[in-house]
Amino acid sequence: MFDILRTQFWSLTLSGIALGFIYVLISMGYTMVYGVLRMINFANSEIFMVGAFASLLVGRDVFHYTMDTIPPTGAKLALVLTCSLIASMLTSSLVAFLVELIAYRNLRNRTSNRIAPLITAIGMSIVISETVRIITKARAIFAPRILEKQTLFVFHGADIRLDSMITIFAGLILFIALERFIKLSRLGKGIRAVSMDEDSAKLMGVNLNRVISLTFIIGGLMTGAAGFFYVNVYENVKYNMGFSLGLAAFTAAVIGGIGNIRGAFFGGISLGLLEIYASAVVGTQWKPVTVFVVLILILLLKPNGLFGEAVQKTRV
Amino acid sequence: MKKSFNVAAAIAAAGALILGVTAATTASAAVKEVTIAYQGPLTGDAAQTGIDELNAVKYAIKKYNATNPAVKVNLVAIDDQGAGAVALTVAPGAAANKKIIAIVGPAFSGATIASLPYYKAGRLPMISPSATNVTLTNPKSVNYGYPVFHRVPSTDAFQGPALAVWAVQNQKSPKVYIVDDKSPYGTGLAAFTKKGLAAGTWAGSDSTPDDTKDFSATIIKIKASGTNVVIYTGYYSQAAILIKQLRTAGYTGDYAAGDGVLSQSFIDNAGKDAEGALMVAPTIPLAVGNPEMEADYVKLMGEASGEYSGETITITNVFLEGIKAGKLTRSAMLNWINGYHGTTFAGTKLSFDRNGDNNGAAAIGGFIVKSGKNVAVKAVKW
Repeated sequence: MFDILRTQFWSLTLSGIALGFIYVLISMGYTMVYGVLRMINFANSEIFMVGAFASLLVGRDVFHYTMDTIPPTGAKLALVLTCSLIASMLTSSLVAFLVELIAYRNLRNRTSNRIAPLITAIGMSIVISETVRIITKARAIFAPRILEKQTLFVFHGADIRLDSMITIFAGLILFIALERFIKLSRLGKGIRAVSMDEDSAKLMGVNLNRVISLTFIIGGLMTGAAGFFYVNVYENVKYNMGFSLGLAAFTAAVIGGIGNIRGAFFGGISLGLLEIYASAVVGTQWKPVTVFVVLILILLLKPNGLFGEAVQKTRV
Repeated sequence: MKKSFNVAAAIAAAGALILGVTAATTASAAVKEVTIAYQGPLTGDAAQTGIDELNAVKYAIKKYNATNPAVKVNLVAIDDQGAGAVALTVAPGAAANKKIIAIVGPAFSGATIASLPYYKAGRLPMISPSATNVTLTNPKSVNYGYPVFHRVPSTDAFQGPALAVWAVQNQKSPKVYIVDDKSPYGTGLAAFTKKGLAAGTWAGSDSTPDDTKDFSATIIKIKASGTNVVIYTGYYSQAAILIKQLRTAGYTGDYAAGDGVLSQSFIDNAGKDAEGALMVAPTIPLAVGNPEMEADYVKLMGEASGEYSGETITITNVFLEGIKAGKLTRSAMLNWINGYHGTTFAGTKLSFDRNGDNNGAAAIGGFIVKSGKNVAVKAVKW
């Protein structure tokens, strides 16, 4: 049973890390909002979905690539990828901003009830996904290949592919950039201040609404980037794609310690690896069982997740 | 929560369906009218199958209404998205709507299993053009559809062994890996396919949910096993994702599938990676089985027929002949079907055994994707 893990260790590990980075970026959206508002933004999975759609539409409808066209190379490739990434990030951050403005801000200003925003979050999630379902007639839409999935080299039997490497390195850069921004910038300090003590932050002159909007926008940017990488690797989108991936990313955030950026990072990578190892060893049909048994065990041993409140400096 | 919303929307749709049919019928009370329904996926990943079948029903009714003014036949389209969970929400409305005297469909096995309790309770007769799961006509199964369920195509007990033979035709020393989609159709067909493989050719199996995005673990196992034939038992949207990821990962062997993948949408979605894919199905294209009818279909509908169009026209005609013979209630139609002796679109005999299976079940056809099209090659022998 474990033979596959021994013989294909590096192939499985690389796949797990590439998948994990997509979870990392989506889980940033959950963890940023939770860190500041102590609220789970269930619409984050749909923010991811619209970002993925935006990325696909740029390649297909702006640059007119089809299933039969040859993928671009050189400067054209860089242009298409950059435009897709920007469109994906901006679309997701715009939707995240609007979700906060329409569904959460009024509630936050008028009630301290924590259930109401949770319900509106679920409501926004359904509104967005059902709207896209109606528009697309619930069909999966396949993306034209923009990035040729060439093998760069072979490492211990594992194909090191260009698309996986781009996902991993770009994901790493985005994670580091976010962490530095939160830690060092003035706006980041504002976010951390609100995260630690909302009332004190207000007394110190922090503009609460501005900080919260910024938090949603940054979370949306990260989640949108995840949508871009997802389309490049998996090449299809669907109205309900955010549900299972969003659930996985939320799980990753909880494993790492929700509200903690580093926790989301290690939670995402851990979950990606765990899913791939479980699928290989016990069969894909047992993957959810294995993953959630491990999640329960982690939470029993460390109720605040692997990192929990220990990394105060990077907590949002 | 999302599912609850879907349920609510579907209940509302079912209510509208009942009211709509009632209103339409009342408005033209002077003319005798009956309603038959089509049930299948009209939206969702598998919508092409449902749209093709629905168009075939429309074709048959159009021809009937043009020459039979005494009893006008109405059509109601029921969208179950090919999913049991959605079928559960639309079937009660169809069962409660007494205007509907028969159903063409459901198209998919999982949706049929979910719908059956309601249709059995409402004694609503149904004939499916494409639901092939064996349990539907097995008296020992909880999914047994007696007395209302009937079907035209052969079951997966025939399709599985045929797939096992058709899939390995290019390999001298085949090593076969089977991947199913965890659906009743996919797991059932996978089991029969595995049984049909020659000894020593099975290399492994995996069961991947029908919303799987990342097949990398499965693909690593496939490559590690030295497989040269991958068989997927599921539907075409997922089949396209799997073959694209397989080819990207460097897999160069054959790819084969059952009737759930036999669709132009598979080829459109998988692009060049679909080329050479081998498929079997308990159907033959209308253009092959009855070229004259295909020509007439194109003339009347403005486009070529799709998968299972021939079977769907055959079934609709069974109902239409019953209506012409004065069978205007569910029970009268059920008796008509059980005593029916006729022919299919291809000229083969059609009647149903006690369990609802076709006594003269059609052969299993072998297909290959060539130059971006599904090409029927020949009947598969096993």
